[in-house]
Amino acid sequence: MKHLFLLGTGILSVLASNLSAQESEVSALSSAVETLQSDNDVAKRLKISGYVQAQYQVADTAGVSSMAGGNFGTGIDNRFSVRRGRVKVAYTYENALAVMQFDITEKGLGIKDAYLSLTEPWLNALTLTGGVFNRPFGYEIEYSSSSRETPERSRMFQTLFPGERDLGAKLTLQAPKTSNWNFLKLDLGLLCGNGTNVETDNYKDFVAHLTANKVSKDERLKWGIGASYYNGGFAATTNRLYTTQTVSGIKAFVPETVNKNDKLKREYVGLEGQIGYDWALGITQVKAEYLTGTQPATASSSSSLTAANVSSTSTADITTGKVTTSNVGVDAYSRTFSGYYVYLIQDILQSPFQAVVKYDVYDPNTHVAGNQIGTTPLTGIATGATDIKYATLGVGLNYRFNSNVKIMAYYDMVKNETTTNIKKASTLADLSADRKDNVFTLRVQYKF
Amino acid sequence: MKKSVVTLFLAISLLIPVVTNAQKVVCKIKGSDTCLPLSQRFAEIYNKNNAGSGISVVGGGSGVGIAALLSGTTDIAQSSRKMKMDEKLKLQEGGKSVKEVIIAYDALAIIVHPSNPVSQLTREQLEGIFTGKLTNWKDVGGPDLKIIVYSRETSSGTYDFIKEHVMNKKNFTASALMMAATGAVVQSVSQTKGAIGYVGLAYVEKEVKALKVSYDKGKTYVAPNVSTAMSRKYPVTRPLYYYFTNTVEAKVKPLVSFILSKDGQNIVLAEGFVPLS
Repeated sequence: MKHLFLLGTGILSVLASNLSAQESEVSALSSAVETLQSDNDVAKRLKISGYVQAQYQVADTAGVSSMAGGNFGTGIDNRFSVRRGRVKVAYTYENALAVMQFDITEKGLGIKDAYLSLTEPWLNALTLTGGVFNRPFGYEIEYSSSSRETPERSRMFQTLFPGERDLGAKLTLQAPKTSNWNFLKLDLGLLCGNGTNVETDNYKDFVAHLTANKVSKDERLKWGIGASYYNGGFAATTNRLYTTQTVSGIKAFVPETVNKNDKLKREYVGLEGQIGYDWALGITQVKAEYLTGTQPATASSSSSLTAANVSSTSTADITTGKVTTSNVGVDAYSRTFSGYYVYLIQDILQSPFQAVVKYDVYDPNTHVAGNQIGTTPLTGIATGATDIKYATLGVGLNYRFNSNVKIMAYYDMVKNETTTNIKKASTLADLSADRKDNVFTLRVQYKF
Repeated sequence: MKKSVVTLFLAISLLIPVVTNAQKVVCKIKGSDTCLPLSQRFAEIYNKNNAGSGISVVGGGSGVGIAALLSGTTDIAQSSRKMKMDEKLKLQEGGKSVKEVIIAYDALAIIVHPSNPVSQLTREQLEGIFTGKLTNWKDVGGPDLKIIVYSRETSSGTYDFIKEHVMNKKNFTASALMMAATGAVVQSVSQTKGAIGYVGLAYVEKEVKALKVSYDKGKTYVAPNVSTAMSRKYPVTRPLYYYFTNTVEAKVKPLVSFILSKDGQNIVLAEGFVPLS
């Protein structure tokens, strides 16, 4: 009896001890899970992403000018390059976001994005963004290069918005996802209009972008439309502004007198549309965009003017040693332009392959065409190679190996407007015929 | 020596069940809370009948399941809504195509506290209640009692469905209490006299009362049950989906075949859902 009592007491004390040990273990485990959860919550605020695009390209002619990732060097008709090497760091906490994005290639290190966004906490409908970010104009600018079905943006966007980014502030109005008005989005921006360069004048450019996106009830049809407006200017750096006028029946650039620092008009209007349909052959997408407007540029380029177009010289007084810096301006050429692009993208059945066809047109000067270009006027300056219209037909095949790796094979067939007035011995400069400047690109992208 | 052998044998015998019970997870299902009890039952029976198979099932909402499919952290996304076009495009961008399988149908029940004398509502009245236009039960023939709306979170497919099919795409009242899981809706409604909520039919318990619903402005009211849902008389019914990518098709095919089989569809019926035929 005594033995049984002792045995019972022993078992009970062992059980009690085990229970206590288990409780202690559970408590320690809960504490560890809470710590991990807390650490995980903090870690989730920071997101690092990016992509690398390594490519090999072959051009029709050595040294050709190209919008397929930049001009080919003298005597070079094929090249390897890292087209983009992006690292993006984003930190989100509650209603605030900070983003830094860098581009690391063989050309060096460049800053792509550096901005912060604050969303008001009451309706979650209004967001203020400040810093360096994509200009809110049109569809193609804000569509990531890592997702784009072709190697490069259209010629008109590369010309009008080089580098895509600008410095300034942006207000975004979009109802929360739970709202029926979420399909509408309005961006209003105030930008330096100087790319990612430092501000050089008092003028600010206004930009507005309104979009509407809808999906059908059965989630098979998706469409979006949008309109954009850009109104800004560049401070004149000389007293001359050339505009295209008819002089004795000849289209030519005629100078007007302006004051230095006068605002040279830069005004664009854009319309866009996208549609996607999921059907038996796979998802088909058509995307198109049209732009027109007035562009202040130079004689040699219709690309947007930036501070880079103004060079400065410094002189030192030999007696006082005082250094004086003065800007060497550039005469501005104002042109009326138009351009458009159309993409046809077809996922091939349920395979990882995707076919793409793109047609892209950019006319930098709609006032002149064909043999009018380059005709020598009695007064003024002749139009020239900068006023040539380009049409590019691109065909490509994308292989999405997995969510990280994409392989792209793409062929750009570039057709330039011809004029008998710009006939040169060099095939690179001769515009009396279509230049041999097609480019083939084979690209491998790794996205993380 | 003999004692040592016996001890060793006993120790090995004790270890064996531990090893066999720790089945390797070979297929992960994640997503809709509505589908959760059904998928759990499928997994339980499938695991039992197929030695070596290990199916794990987790809820969280349709949106959570589809996000997991996009990130490659689940094999199957269970969903009470159709996959969105943008989600399909994201999968395509990763070189994957998605397969959609309807596994069952579900009737969406409108539930109130059992003491509430109101037993039927029209779609228009439901829209008024959920949008906050009607705030007192006396507005719909009930007692003078404040209406308290319980809803699922926005990541829920059920939330999307009720907004689209009952509320004419209007927004929930700002005072609606958003619940993370269907079980929480049932529990809250069962404990709150003026409460109203919505859940899949399989979640309807004795602690809550399911209302009859009219979609013809009050001419006919239909109670939610398997029979009315199968005959399509009950208007608030919807398909339940499994989504998986072509890369795991071979792995999940036996399970999907089982679900679509007669045995699988009997489980659907037994769990309070509506079979395919």
